[in-house]
Amino acid sequence: MRNAYVDQFPTEARVIKAAFWSSFIALAIGGSLGLVQALHRTDVFRFLESPDYYTVLTAHGVLLAISFTIFFLVGVFTWAVTTSLDRGVEDIRFTWGWYAMMVVGTVLVGVTIFAGFLEEPPVVLGSELYADVLFTFYAPLQAHPFFYIGLVLFVVGSWLAGVDWFRTWWAWRSENPDERIPLPTFMVLTTTLFWYICTLGVALSILVFLLPWSLGLVDSVNPLLTRTLFWYFGHAVVYFWLMPTYILWYTMLPKFSGGKLFSDPLARVVFVLFLLLSTPLGIHHQYLDPGIAEGFKFIAMTNTMFLLLPSLLTAFTVVASMEHGARQRGGEGYVGWLTALPWRDPIFTGMALAGLMFAAAGFSGMINAGMNINYLVHNTWWVVGHFHLTVGTAVALTFMAAAYWFIPQLTGKELWNRSVALGQVLLWFIGMTFMSNAMHRSGLFGMPRRTAEPQYQGFEFEPAVGTVGEINAQVALGAVLLTVSLALFLLNMVMTSFNETSDAIPDNTFAGTLSGPEDSPAILDNLALWTAIAVVLVIFAYTLPLASIIDGGGLFGSGIDGFQLGIETGRALVLESIREVVP
Amino acid sequence: MRISKGALLVVIAVLVPVIVELRTALSWFGIELSILESLGLSAVLILGLVLWAVWPPNGDAEAEPSSSN
Repeated sequence: MRNAYVDQFPTEARVIKAAFWSSFIALAIGGSLGLVQALHRTDVFRFLESPDYYTVLTAHGVLLAISFTIFFLVGVFTWAVTTSLDRGVEDIRFTWGWYAMMVVGTVLVGVTIFAGFLEEPPVVLGSELYADVLFTFYAPLQAHPFFYIGLVLFVVGSWLAGVDWFRTWWAWRSENPDERIPLPTFMVLTTTLFWYICTLGVALSILVFLLPWSLGLVDSVNPLLTRTLFWYFGHAVVYFWLMPTYILWYTMLPKFSGGKLFSDPLARVVFVLFLLLSTPLGIHHQYLDPGIAEGFKFIAMTNTMFLLLPSLLTAFTVVASMEHGARQRGGEGYVGWLTALPWRDPIFTGMALAGLMFAAAGFSGMINAGMNINYLVHNTWWVVGHFHLTVGTAVALTFMAAAYWFIPQLTGKELWNRSVALGQVLLWFIGMTFMSNAMHRSGLFGMPRRTAEPQYQGFEFEPAVGTVGEINAQVALGAVLLTVSLALFLLNMVMTSFNETSDAIPDNTFAGTLSGPEDSPAILDNLALWTAIAVVLVIFAYTLPLASIIDGGGLFGSGIDGFQLGIETGRALVLESIREVVP
Repeated sequence: MRISKGALLVVIAVLVPVIVELRTALSWFGIELSILESLGLSAVLILGLVLWAVWPPNGDAEAEPSSSN
């Protein structure tokens, strides 16, 4: 008898399926805009005016970094909690409620951004719809109030999703008071806790400063304060994307490899470390901000380097689990076991290659995190190359590979074509190799990010090897391969939904463990303790910097008007713009 | 075949980053390759890999792939 997720939890499966499809729609739109950007910036093919590049850039960033990732994440977390606790959510209407809130928020944000393409955007609440403020939406860039309201709805929706997972766990705990928290639920709860902590910063930034400012209720804001509050959230959100990926690597990848998770206790330690350290390090994004003292930046760097520990623990645990699986399949030798892994399986191969790319991302991340060497690559295309390896591959490729397992689980229908799926994950890996490699290299010779026109007049960039044209060609080629890969993924998902239901869907199970929860200290499950320590660390890391910023520039700054992105060539205009933000 | 078709595809994919950066690495040793030379070298590497993979192990054309997948 079939025992897929849809057979165990049919009502929850519908919500998760809706969340996944919301995620895929965001991926389709945001990913296509990525190709437009790459071709425009590299001057390979242009059909937009350069000012519209910033509308595309904002939509690409917000739809992929916020909507695609978090819609998929809430689906994975709901699946992980219900499966590992073996019980449904407490009230499915509440579950549909937070999902609907996130959808409304996304639509509001999306409409406001895409209004940027109109010659005459509609006037609502006294101002034109406009949101060319990029994913990093701090002042002095100012969006229409709908953009901020949409973000608030989306984030509050995710908070309520967290309440839903906690309610389910509390109900389970009342019936199982002496049981350890099952590992997948433990991972979801710790991740949710640091999400609550880090989103307080962005909530404060929007509700107290940016939204009243865009509504005209306050005349000015302190740009450095809104930047700092954004980055308080802006780095932790990276781990919010990454934790569902880790959950899949820890609880599913060993199973697909044919073995078991090497260590449940190590996995718990990793997630506790992320709860503690995800937030008090956002200032490492502000190494070049003049209003923050070097000492605070040094503390942020130290905290960031500590976070290498859980990532290295993860690399060890996941690879050890894969080796165990390979040896169960007959693999032998120091490296010969690698050939025994199921490389024909797109789910395994996609996740494994995503993990390999993440290792490269870790190395470039160390450069970003180093306070002195960061100056070399700050605000260059290097950084864009880095996060296309993290969120663009470690997260996105794992999610796509996992979708090949999840969609059959949620629908009872077999995957349309496994060969196409294998080709798709390999094509993503190759495309990202070309694109992110070229971006990293161009950052090394100072090619800037966040601009439609990266070439300065009267100045030529000098790559160590080759030419700028070759670098651009690599980026464009990579972007085309990634778009083809994306199209193949979406085709497989759509065609799968047209398949007939099948009895050949595998059971909905997690990987077993070689060393289980009985081997880990009970204190690891003390969520209140770890949350309290995480809050104390945040207070230590942020109280003095925030006090200093407010002391220096005032709570609301002075005379900072909203600023809109564009292409300006007049020197007087540029100087005037600079004077607006640098008194 | 010595390895499965899936594994061969994966090895070729993993070879891509090596090929892309081979040109940079060779330049450290004073070997400057043009794009065409790089593409030619890449083609030789991939062809060599494919030939190795499809060549029957021990010259036995009926031999099974050594990989278990």
